[in-house]
Amino acid sequence: MQPITYNLPVYDLLTVEGVARVHNMSMRILRELGIDFYDDEARDILRAHGADVRGDTVFFDEELLLKYVGMAPSQFTQLARNPQNNVNIGGNNMVFAPVYGCPFVQDRDGGRREATLRDFQNFVKLAYMSPYIHHSGGTVVEPTDEPVATRHLDMLLSHITYSDKAFMGSVTSGNNAADSVAIAEIVFGAERIREHPALLSLINVSSPRRFDDRMLACIKVYARARQAMIITPFILAGAMGPTSVAGTVAQLNAEALAGIALCQMINPGTPVVYGSFLSTIDLQSGAPTFGTPESQTALYISAQMARHYNLPFRGGGAFSSSKQPDAQAGYESVMVMIPTVMARTNFVLHAAGWLENGLVSGYEKFVLDCEILGMLHTWARGVDLSDEAFAMDAFAEVPPGGHFLGTAHTMRHFRDAFYRAELFDYNSAEQWELNGGHDTYDRASARVKQLLASYEAPALDAGVAQRLHEFVAQRKAAIAVEPRDF
Amino acid sequence: MDFSDLSDEDLWLQMQDDLYDGMKEEVAAETREALTRGFSPQEVLGQGLVAGMDIVGVDFRDGVLFVPEVLMAANAMKAGMEILRPLLAETGAERIGTMIIGTVKGDIHDIGKNLVAMMMEGAGFEVINLGINNDADKFLEAIKTHQPDIIGMSALLTTTMPYMKVVIDALGEEGLRDTLYVMVGGAPVTETFAKAVGADAYGRDAAVAVELAKAYMAKRRAA
Repeated sequence: MQPITYNLPVYDLLTVEGVARVHNMSMRILRELGIDFYDDEARDILRAHGADVRGDTVFFDEELLLKYVGMAPSQFTQLARNPQNNVNIGGNNMVFAPVYGCPFVQDRDGGRREATLRDFQNFVKLAYMSPYIHHSGGTVVEPTDEPVATRHLDMLLSHITYSDKAFMGSVTSGNNAADSVAIAEIVFGAERIREHPALLSLINVSSPRRFDDRMLACIKVYARARQAMIITPFILAGAMGPTSVAGTVAQLNAEALAGIALCQMINPGTPVVYGSFLSTIDLQSGAPTFGTPESQTALYISAQMARHYNLPFRGGGAFSSSKQPDAQAGYESVMVMIPTVMARTNFVLHAAGWLENGLVSGYEKFVLDCEILGMLHTWARGVDLSDEAFAMDAFAEVPPGGHFLGTAHTMRHFRDAFYRAELFDYNSAEQWELNGGHDTYDRASARVKQLLASYEAPALDAGVAQRLHEFVAQRKAAIAVEPRDF
Repeated sequence: MDFSDLSDEDLWLQMQDDLYDGMKEEVAAETREALTRGFSPQEVLGQGLVAGMDIVGVDFRDGVLFVPEVLMAANAMKAGMEILRPLLAETGAERIGTMIIGTVKGDIHDIGKNLVAMMMEGAGFEVINLGINNDADKFLEAIKTHQPDIIGMSALLTTTMPYMKVVIDALGEEGLRDTLYVMVGGAPVTETFAKAVGADAYGRDAAVAVELAKAYMAKRRAA
């Protein structure tokens, strides 16, 4: 795995005054309109810490909010099963994670279909094998062939079995979050995960201005266990936010900060990431749209707001509305990934595999996105200004009109001097035709097959594996007899 | 608002225009004016409201109208329908239809469902919107109260989708299933899923949902 640090200037889209205006508007939303929290205990906690609670709605004043937001660490390390794959979240570090939450998968040979546990495991394997994906992610696909009540156990077990990269916890219920913590304790040790989180879980705000009962149940479990969370308002501007970037970002900021403050009230110092999932809708049809210019502006601003509060930032991804890995998918994804990197996003969920507004995890799309992530790694590294990079000895060797192909400098660097894309074709037209005239979709399809065929599982301690399987079996048996209406 | 100098023909055109422009108060006033002139509720519905919404529907489909404009038009339609509905019932006219719609238990994502409700109202349906997070009992209670023709259920989460089957099974247990048209929708829902849980129809978007509902009501009237 190649960690990525961002060594370029960070793109601040707003002036200091602009940041202050977004902040002030967010404070006004929190003070005058409030945020709904659909959980009695969460509201009790908020009230006990000084927030004004009226019915489901919680009002915050600026001083109170900033006091608790200020308790969140600006940077933290998430543990991975292989310590070399631990990830630092915050500062100049960027972590790329796979697509999350798709009920469908798509590939060239099989088309679009409901995702299964086998697909889940395949995507975990692909993420494990890519040097440019730093994290195993969470619900890389939704394994719809497994019962809803026990799916989270199969997913967690698959992350741990098929990868040694860091992974995310379940957020489908408080009990499932508790299972995730128990599993992390088996793998990493109960004390160790209180020092450094082993889970980073995705808490969505159901915008506008409400946290639902499931998410609040998970916040309570994870904060008490000191596990990391990404507090992400999910806003499609025009529907769940106003039709303006400024207003939508102020809304997002208010919602994210309210959730972060709650985490700190429950357990000061709980690692949190300021999340932004902000795109637009097509106001003509009502359909979600991704890769739109307004969403990129909003991405830059939300990243800037997170930096303003000294919090790690999550945003962006290889977004597209396209149904397959075609030109639209490529253009839209890159249109979002470049701002994602230039905004210095610390955690990039959906960095690979996303299709069709997030309904589909695409196999070929995944490996094609990884190719772009590789290029972004090179780019983000910045420019080497060492004497070696200025290559005076090479100039001395090459007369005017000569070439650099044989210099000692070239000999020292040629293998890794320039990023070489494996899935893009650099041949002459004739050679390309002789090779079968394949497009990127064909090449990506072959790449997926080759990767999955050559996959080898990372080592897993036999004792840990046994305890995990025992835990999962015991939980499945218990869940089977729990009263449930579906 | 004075419509006395409008001919009957111009009144219908004015009504259709105002509906198109989402002018709720004007449409209500024109509905009353047409009734005052002695047109039957059925005629007002057909020549004024439905004729106007047909144009809205075509222009929405063709990309001329935007969602906020359709919303305004649907609200104007609703204002006219509120006046006509009791009169239509009195005259024993064929009902356009009543729908109960809600997001199922555990799910609070309802933007898409609200879009469907709006489009259904635009088509003249009476819509009882139960909102979010509805368990089977809430659906059953609303069915008993409102006697709908159609039940619409939505979910965004794969983890809440299976609850649709719980509601459908509950309808069966209460002996209500056969008299109701059950429609399901939501981003992760598919035709296959709809069949598997025993629904009658899957609406892949709001416009399709309205078409399916209208087709069902037509079939039911013909039966």
